[in-house]
Parts: sequence; C-alpha cells; structure tokens
Amino acid sequence: MEEKVGLAWHRLVTHWANNRFPDAAVNLSQLSRATAILFRALGGNHALMVQAGSATLHQARRNWLQILAGSDRKEDLAWVDHEALRLPPIIDYYSDAALNRKLYFWLAALCAVDNRTHLPWLQHNQQATQWLIENYPGLAADYTQLVQAEIRRRPSIEKLPEDAARLEHAIRQALLVPGSIKQLPSARWSHAPVLLWLRPASSSNEVFLAENEQDSTHTDHNAQQKDEIRRTSRRVELPKRKGGLLLFHPESIFSWGEYARVEHETSENDDDNLVQAADDLDEISIATDSQRTAKSLRMTLELPTRHIDTSALGSDEMLLPEWDYRTRERRINQCCVKLQPMANNAPCALPEHLLTLQRRLRRQFAALLPVRQRLKAQRDGLEIDIDPFIRHLSHRTDSDNRFYLDQRKHERDLSCLLLADLSLSTEAWAGENYRIIDAIRDSLFLFAETLSDIHDRFALYGFNSKLRTNIHLYPLKSFEEVYDAGIRGRINQIASAHYTRMGAAIRYATTILSRQKTRERLLLLLSDGKPNDSDHYEGRYGIEDTRDAILSAKKMGIRPFCITIDQDAHDYLPHIFGKENFTVIRKPSQLPRNLSFLYAQLTR
Amino acid sequence: MNNASNNILKSIPPTTDTHIAPPPYFSNENEISLFEQAYHNRLPVLIKGPTGCGKTRFVEHMAARLGLTIHTVSCHDDLSAADLIGRHLINHSGTYWVDGPLTQAVRYGGICYLDEIVEARKDTTVILHALSDNRRILPIDRTGEILSAHPQFMLVISYNPGYQHLLKGLKPSTRQRFVALTFDFPNAAREAEIVQTESGISAAIAKQLVTLAQALRNTANHDLEEIPGTRLLVNAARLIQSGCEPRRACQAAITECLSDEPEIVNALANIVSAVFAG
Ligand SMILES: Nc1ncnc2c1ncn2[C@@H]1O[C@H](COP(=O)(O)OP(=O)(O)OP(=O)(O)O)[C@@H](O)[C@H]1O
Ligand SMILES: [Mg+2]
Repeated sequence: MEEKVGLAWHRLVTHWANNRFPDAAVNLSQLSRATAILFRALGGNHALMVQAGSATLHQARRNWLQILAGSDRKEDLAWVDHEALRLPPIIDYYSDAALNRKLYFWLAALCAVDNRTHLPWLQHNQQATQWLIENYPGLAADYTQLVQAEIRRRPSIEKLPEDAARLEHAIRQALLVPGSIKQLPSARWSHAPVLLWLRPASSSNEVFLAENEQDSTHTDHNAQQKDEIRRTSRRVELPKRKGGLLLFHPESIFSWGEYARVEHETSENDDDNLVQAADDLDEISIATDSQRTAKSLRMTLELPTRHIDTSALGSDEMLLPEWDYRTRERRINQCCVKLQPMANNAPCALPEHLLTLQRRLRRQFAALLPVRQRLKAQRDGLEIDIDPFIRHLSHRTDSDNRFYLDQRKHERDLSCLLLADLSLSTEAWAGENYRIIDAIRDSLFLFAETLSDIHDRFALYGFNSKLRTNIHLYPLKSFEEVYDAGIRGRINQIASAHYTRMGAAIRYATTILSRQKTRERLLLLLSDGKPNDSDHYEGRYGIEDTRDAILSAKKMGIRPFCITIDQDAHDYLPHIFGKENFTVIRKPSQLPRNLSFLYAQLTR
Repeated sequence: MNNASNNILKSIPPTTDTHIAPPPYFSNENEISLFEQAYHNRLPVLIKGPTGCGKTRFVEHMAARLGLTIHTVSCHDDLSAADLIGRHLINHSGTYWVDGPLTQAVRYGGICYLDEIVEARKDTTVILHALSDNRRILPIDRTGEILSAHPQFMLVISYNPGYQHLLKGLKPSTRQRFVALTFDFPNAAREAEIVQTESGISAAIAKQLVTLAQALRNTANHDLEEIPGTRLLVNAARLIQSGCEPRRACQAAITECLSDEPEIVNALANIVSAVFAG
C-alpha cells in the first residue's frame, strides 16, 4: 500500500512539476529562418534577426510540487528589442510537437505587430492578438488551439488562493476574449507566465552599452556564440512597500532578477557595479539545449549607460560620416580613413598553386563572357546574312554586296572596385593549412589575372579598422595602375588585423568609384562576417551604418554586390544589400574560383 | 522594276470596332487622363512597374477606350530591328515586303506596345528615336521609304525596373523622349476588387488573397527576389473558384511561382497557413 502511494506520488510530482514534453520539443534552430520570414511578412523590421532569448525568471506562485521538484522556475518568453526578435531556444510546453511549432510562429507574428503606441504590456498583447486574429484567419485557428492547450497547462484555479485565482481568471479571460480585460486584479503573487504573450517590453530603457574606446578588449567574432543568448537587464520601478506588504501591479515586476537589480540601483550607480550586479542575477540564461559552458557564451549586456562619443573629428586625413540609426542622422566627420600603402612589396609572380586554375579560368572565361557581338551586313564574315541578300534581290542593285555576318569585340564600359575585408577574423582556419585570409589572397590574385586578361578596368583595396579614428585602407591596385608583378607583390603582402568598420570603407570606395567615367560602376565587397568594431559599432548599429553607405552608393549610380563566406549572412545581408545583391559561398576554399565566375555573371 | 515600293504588299488596315467594351481596368490615380492627354499631344508613353501590376491590361483598356488597335511586341535580346519594322520575303514571283508590327501601327494608326523594352538590343531601340520625338518619322532603309506617323499612331513601351541588368537599362536619350507613368500595386481594397472581378471569387477570399500578397511583398528584397503581382492572385482565385482548396491553390499559383529554394518555399507556405485556415 505504501509503495503504491509512493509511486503515484512520484508520478504526480514529475508530471505536474515538469510540465514539459521533451518528446515533442521543437528547437528554434530548426525554425529560425522560417519564423524570421513570417515576422517580416507580417510587417516586422527587416533589420532584426531571430535570436534565442534568455529565460525569464518569473515570480509566479509556484505550486508546492514544483518547489519540491525544484523545477519550473524559468520560462522562455519571447520579445523584440532594437536588435533582434528573441524567441525561446526550445519550446516543449505542449504534448503535441505541431502545437509547439505553432507557438513559435504565433510568437513571431506577435512580435511583428507594431507597438509604436507603447501600450502597456497587458493591453498590447491583447490588442496585437486581436489584430492578428482579425486579419489572419489561419493564425486565428492556431490561436484557438493554443489557448486551449495553454489553459490546460496553467495552474488550476480551484487550487489557488483567492486573490491568485481572481488574477488567473482574468488572464484566462484575456486569452479567450482578447481585449476584454482592461486591468488585472492585484494579488500577492504574479500570475504564471503567459506563454502566448510577449514578455513585457522595456524598449525605452534599452540603450547601447558604450564601451570605453581605449580599454575595450578584443573579442574574436568567429568565436562568438552562434546562437547568442542575451542577458537582459531592465530598469523597473521600485515597488512601494506599505505596511510590510508589496503593493504593485503584477505586470510591473517580472523577475527576481529585476528585484535584485532595483536594490543594486538604489545603492550604486556605477557602471562597473551594474555589470557585476547583472552577473549576480539569476537572469543569465543557459540554453536548454546547450552543452557549452556558460563561459563560452558571449554575453551582451543591454544597460542604460554612458553616451557614445560622437564628437566630430578634426584632422587633415579623409573624414567620412557615419549613420546612427537610433537618431536617424548621418553625422559628419565621424570616421577617419588612413591610406596604408603596402610596405616592402617585392614584385612576385603568380603563386604556383594557382597556375593551373588560372589557365583553366582563362579558357572558361572566353566562353562565359560574350565579349563578341554579331555584326550584320558585312563584306566578309563567318556566316551568310540572309536579310541583305533578299534586299539585294528585291532591289536588284549590284552596288551593295554585304551579305555576311561577322563578330566583333563587345565594348565593356565598366569599372569595378573590389574591397576586401582584412580584419582579424579572416585569420580563422578555413581548412587544413588554409586560413580565410589565404582564400582572400588567392581570390585577389585570380580576380586580377582574369580582369586584366579581359581588359576590364578594376581597382583592388583591402580594409580593416581600429575604432572610428583608424580606418585603414590598403590600396593594392588603383584604377590607373597596370596589373603587374609589383601589384602582385602587394597582394602577396596582405595580412589580417583589427576590426571591420564596413560603412566607412564602403563610403571611401564609393568616392573613388564615383570619379570613374564609365557607364557602369561595380563595387564588390569581399566579406567574412558582420560589420563590427571594438566600440558601439556592432550588431544593428554596424548593420544600419553599412546599409546607409550602400544606399548612398546606389544613389550615385554604383552597383554594390557582396560576396561573403558567412553562412549566417541571410540574417543581415538582405537588409544591407538587398536580396539579389549578395551571395554566400559555402566554403572559403571555393572563393578564389567562384569570385571570377561571379564577376562574369554580374557583368555578362 | 527598280523601286521596291511597287512590290510592297501593304497589310490591310485593321478595322477598329469602337463598340467593343474595354477590358475592365481599375485605375489607381490619374493615369487614364494622363494617357489620354499624351495621346492627344502625340507623345509616346513609358510605363514602369513590377510584373503583373496591370501594365498590359491598362494599355489594352486605353486602346479600346480610344478606339485604337494595339500591336504588342514582347522584346528579347534577339529581337532585331527587322522584327519591328518588317522584312522582305520570297515567293514564286520574287521578293515582297511585309510590314512589321511597328510599321503597321505607324502606317495605319494604332498603339505599338513594346513590352520589356530593356531586353531589346540597343541597336533596336535607336530606331525608335526619330519616332518618339516631334519628327514622328520611321525611316525604312530597306525600302528607302521614310514613313511619317499616322495621326493616330502612339508608341508605348514598358519595363520592370526591378529586373534591370547591370549592363542593360534604357539610355537616357531614349528614356527622355517619353512621358513616364510609374505603376505599383493597387491598394488593398482596390486589389481585392480586381481579384473579385477577374475571378468571380467571394469578397472574403479576395481579401485574404490580398492580405497574403501584402505579407509576401513585405519580404521582398530580403527573402524574395520577385514580388507577387496581382496576376498571381487572380490565378489563385480562379483555382479556388473552381473548387481547389485555398492553401493548395495558393501554393500552386503563388508560392511555388516565387522561389525555387525549398527552404523559402516552405517558409512561404507558413505565411499561406497564417492567412488561410486549413
Ligand atoms: N488595375 C487593374 N485592373 C484590372 N485588372 C488588373 C489590374 N491590375 C492587374 N490586373 C489583373 O492582373 C493581370 C495581370 O496584369 P497585366 O498582364 O496587365 O500585368 P503586367 O503589368 O503587364 O505584367 P508583366 O510586366 O508581367 O507583363 C491582368 O490580367 C488582370 O487580371
Ligand atoms: Mg504585360
């Protein structure tokens, strides 16, 4: 008898406490592109990418079973901020995998609904839900199923104390009839998190973390966590204490983490302490599916902090603007470009390992590029031109006997500037004894060989950056120079260093290209990852600045095109270049060969 | 016989039946009156706009409205000047001349509509120059004829700016001869009306199709190279109208037509599922 009770007890505990269905789990990694596309389709900002968000520690009344089993403290909620659309890394709340999948899409859709009105959390979620179910009947059907499952999953009202029960009832009502609940009744505990709703936003508090430009440490962005999990920090209002009782609306406080944070904020306001404080918090998430240690996660902390230094630079070097998407302004004289001619470039021949490929390319190019044009009505040629012959017959004139078709070289009225990313990340290995920078070097060699073969006008530049004050441009070949052993010597010398302030480099290349008198001007960017620098130039900031530089180039009639080896480029390059203006090369080792072919395709 | 013009077999001028009702066209702005004014001032018209947004339908509608015949040529990079102007052919009694569509319109009046003009070779577009400025002449060097355009002749060209190739595009000297009309997709209410009229589908489904189209258009440039035109919606609506299940119809008539990448096609199917309940 005792044994029986024990078994039932155990079953009960694990069943209720876990509330998870690993067999039906759906991973974000399987759906990140699909959810991102739905997000954009429903009007979401193209600059935002899908990322795994951190789990939110909620302060709901845990039932004693969960306390016993020590589980269910963290819930993955979804939200959208200025950088990304954050979805739970894994969803396994429901027993049906299809339903877990639907929850992903539902959350992505919810994130896409505009909240420029900054409605409070309760109102926004209800209103957004209403809007979606009115406009998207398919989503509405999914929502109905999700609500049923969610209500089944939620703590049962009968077992809750009176105030919590009232609160829970209101939540359910808001789920069943969105828009029907104006305010939640107060209770001593927060309600159980609502998985169908977005996490309460704190966007107004989300400000960039400005690092000190000098003392910032270098992070190799290849080593960055792919599915970066964000730590969160939000500023919340200090709950008022009255007679020992906490009085606040349940939606105004969301986690123990915040609670702890508030206390830190009242004591200190030093940034370093804030970082420390955040480290103390329980809000740092560990991906459920991740076996990597927390140490390897690149933590990005969003803290309201110091302002970014935006003072104009005064110097006689070339100064360029930078775009700040938060204020929507193009600040002048933000970036200082320094030309770095390659030192000691001993002339050299084409490296031996490229000779075969170069010969093959030369042969294939003759066929690929229709550098020939058919000329009609020639005195001599390879084929007979029937039209002038018939004309001759009908006119019965003997004067004109141009009956042949001939071929002539096509005029290619075009200049191409190739800009290669030489940041430190290109130091990464791309294969055995082959680094990305080696692939770039080989690509430059073959590209130059091909273009000089077909007599197209071209220039080659490399770039990297160390903050906005030091944007290095390495002139490898200007438009005026002839490709020769000396130029090869410079290409041979390229090396990787520093960061990638892409916007400035593109703006510089644009000024050079805009001086070219040809009909078409092509700017090719060879890249291995997102724009970034060691200051605030990263994430959305860098992406939006690069996009601005590209838009300006387009306005000047230049056609930009990006060739990247970053397999995640689909997340951000479309926003910068437009879908048809970039391509992702699967393996860096294919870059040298593909670059020339791409060029052929682009200019055919 | 030393003059080829004796030998010209002039095509019979097509009779215009002004009583045929113009095909339905829902206008967006003032393009109808602009087109009419261009016609009365003998100015050529250039129509820019994405595929399936009603360019061809508009020209057909205007032709019927103005009582003009219409000669449509879809341009491609092998199109030669002779394909537009005409050529000599041979028969048992020797050679004879046949007018091309452009020459016919110039000779007898009517609209010559050159679709996707940027696809044509550059040497083809230069023959339009003398026709599209105030000279309004077409020199036919093969017959030695210099043809002055019929007062009812009108040249209309169109292209889709999205498809422009790096080394293609209209020369400024060509472009600046035309009155330009820029077309875009109609607003949601009008597009739903179009879908309804063209297919006979219910207003509710027409609205859903337009919601779908707008969602798909939102992803343009990021996920899709092509954006769905009204044509695709009309096609899907027709399938649904004849009994096809809506999700299936949208897949066959819309999403599969927009991309070949399986990952994208699957993601688009999710958008369809968001709009149409299964
Ligand atoms: N404004 C409109 N009024 C009526 N029907 C329209 C309108 N716009 C589009 N349609 C419908 O869409 C279909 C496609 O339009 P149309 O053939 O005119 O496109 P288009 O702009 O010429 O495209 P393309 O560039 O591919 O030739 C028409 O057959 C018609 O059914
Ligand atoms: Mg058409």
